[in-house]
Amino acid sequence: MSYFGEVDLGSSFQPFYTLRESYGFVPNLFRAQTLLPRLIEAEAGLSASLLWKERALSRVQKEFIAFIVAAAYGNAYCFAQHHQTLSSLGVTENQIDQVMRDHHQALSRPDAALLDFALKLAFSAPWLSSEDIVVLQDHGFTDESILEAILVTSLTIFFCTLSTAMGASPDLHLPAKPGPRKALRPATGKYVGGTAGPYLRTVELSPDSFPPFAFLVERFGFVPTIFRAQTLIPDVIDAEADTVRKILMPENLLSHVQKECIFLVGSAANLNTYCVAAHCEMLRRMGVSAEESDQIAIDHHQAELSDADKRLLDFAVKLTSRPSEFHSEDVELLRQHGFSEAHIMEAAAATALNSFFNTLQMGLGTTPDFETNRVFGPEDAHPFRAADRLTNEAQADPDSELVARVQRGDLDAFEELVARHSRRVYRTLMGILSNIEEAQDAVQDTFLKAFQHIGDFQGRSKFSTWVLTIASNTGLQRLRERRPIESLDEVPSEEGGDFRPRQVRAWVEDPEQLCSQAERRRLVESAVMQLPPKYRMVLVLRDMEQLSGLEVAAALGLGVPAMKARLFRARMMLREALAPYFASSARRMGQ
Amino acid sequence: MITCDEFMAELGNYLEGEVANEVRKELERHLSHCRTCQVVYDSTLKTVKIVTDSGSFDLPEVAALPIREKIMSRIRKETTS
Repeated sequence: MSYFGEVDLGSSFQPFYTLRESYGFVPNLFRAQTLLPRLIEAEAGLSASLLWKERALSRVQKEFIAFIVAAAYGNAYCFAQHHQTLSSLGVTENQIDQVMRDHHQALSRPDAALLDFALKLAFSAPWLSSEDIVVLQDHGFTDESILEAILVTSLTIFFCTLSTAMGASPDLHLPAKPGPRKALRPATGKYVGGTAGPYLRTVELSPDSFPPFAFLVERFGFVPTIFRAQTLIPDVIDAEADTVRKILMPENLLSHVQKECIFLVGSAANLNTYCVAAHCEMLRRMGVSAEESDQIAIDHHQAELSDADKRLLDFAVKLTSRPSEFHSEDVELLRQHGFSEAHIMEAAAATALNSFFNTLQMGLGTTPDFETNRVFGPEDAHPFRAADRLTNEAQADPDSELVARVQRGDLDAFEELVARHSRRVYRTLMGILSNIEEAQDAVQDTFLKAFQHIGDFQGRSKFSTWVLTIASNTGLQRLRERRPIESLDEVPSEEGGDFRPRQVRAWVEDPEQLCSQAERRRLVESAVMQLPPKYRMVLVLRDMEQLSGLEVAAALGLGVPAMKARLFRARMMLREALAPYFASSARRMGQ
Repeated sequence: MITCDEFMAELGNYLEGEVANEVRKELERHLSHCRTCQVVYDSTLKTVKIVTDSGSFDLPEVAALPIREKIMSRIRKETTS
């Protein structure tokens, strides 16, 4: 049933009543934690407040969020649980299956947007921005309902993490299984890092009249912004404070320093700047130097920790960033290092709670309470994370199977790769060459070269990135042949940040409403074609193909600073070109 | 308080989410006071979104198909010869 033994808590254990009321039985995940009843109390309290109560979002909306996040996490336990709850709420099997296959087809547009938001928060949180909040607001969601969506997503991550660590077997067996877990990955939009908010409205609450705030002041000396940002639904703050009290405060098993270290390495694994700053500060207050906590966040193996503590943090990092690889051996390893079942269970709950707060914080976008000495960026390289991302990205490459078939000589598989990627290759080449016929010719050259060299492709990057790099080189080669006079090389004086904007009238609130998609496309195409090639190609790869900055630099053989300077200049030039159409006092198209 | 020129010099990094926290705070303080920079920042964000969502330079299937056929016929010829 799980990796841990079960003890009888007697018939008077209140949380089991609540769980039976909600599920009709006590789920295995909670049975697995009977050694530490306070964990069950905290978790039942969180579920009751965040998931089971009808508030701005309906139960069904919340269960769909939990269901889709658990499916994408690849967590069979939570997947089955939310599947069953949806059925019990009257959602048909057919509708649940459709949502799993394609929620855009299965649900209303607002509800589909809600799930898009939850998935982005769960798996690409650092790329979440105020724009994603605005999308939901435009669909009619209030700040209260958005806050609920953030909370339910965070809670689902909590339970996915926890059930992985506990090895709880699903309470019922479903024919369908969730797919493999998706790694933390870039999403559309820019890397924000989770500190550009707060995004949601708040109300003023005082520690004098609101006991959870009084508790936080007692524990931290002040009320952290992550809690201040949730005042629209005060009783969830109460449930969270209670969870902190029950999971983090007791010191009879793991010490406070050990738990803070778990939070620190977990937050670093989730690239959470806010939480890393907070836990470095907590450790500093416990007498751990700033250098040492930095070292733990960057690579705890190099820190002054006992062997057992290093294993404990390995456990937390693996559970946070590679749950699909987590097995009973990881629990066994801690036992061998002297940790009892209750210690391990507490470490699992702390790791899960950290991922809960990491997700919640990124959804709220709160600014750090403390000076940050470590601000994570998109290419941030935690030694473990970097390795994870590499393998996860390769595993997640949707083309890897086709590539393997081509490498074994299957030409039909290559035809499929051409079909999949010819449009992006063409777009990249148009960005460079700005000539339809020449770009179409170069598409052919690109795929011929890709075919010739596919034996060398090792899967270190995605196939799509690799083929776009070939496309860029092919396009650049042609451009050099065509215009030997035009230099594509660095002209530093042009690339500084000294570009002065000329159009400074405000734009309309929603410029995309002003003209049709076809008109916007024509406008953008003609404006992009007017840009000098070296700006055009960077813009096409970054903003149209949405490669990361590093990938763009690599594809074009540029240094990162040069790439950034060109990208900024290109965006500014394009802004000038589009401003006449979208400035609020501008003439409308067709007028 | 930083100047508009200083703001513009950092705007590229800010848009990419690549500024240190102290710098970000400075930039945001500037933004809250300076209408012109606010307009430039907001319209640049909107520009990026319009570009990303525009579906520009799309290759229509009627054009894609013959290209694909040409590629495959060249490859099949090369591999059989």
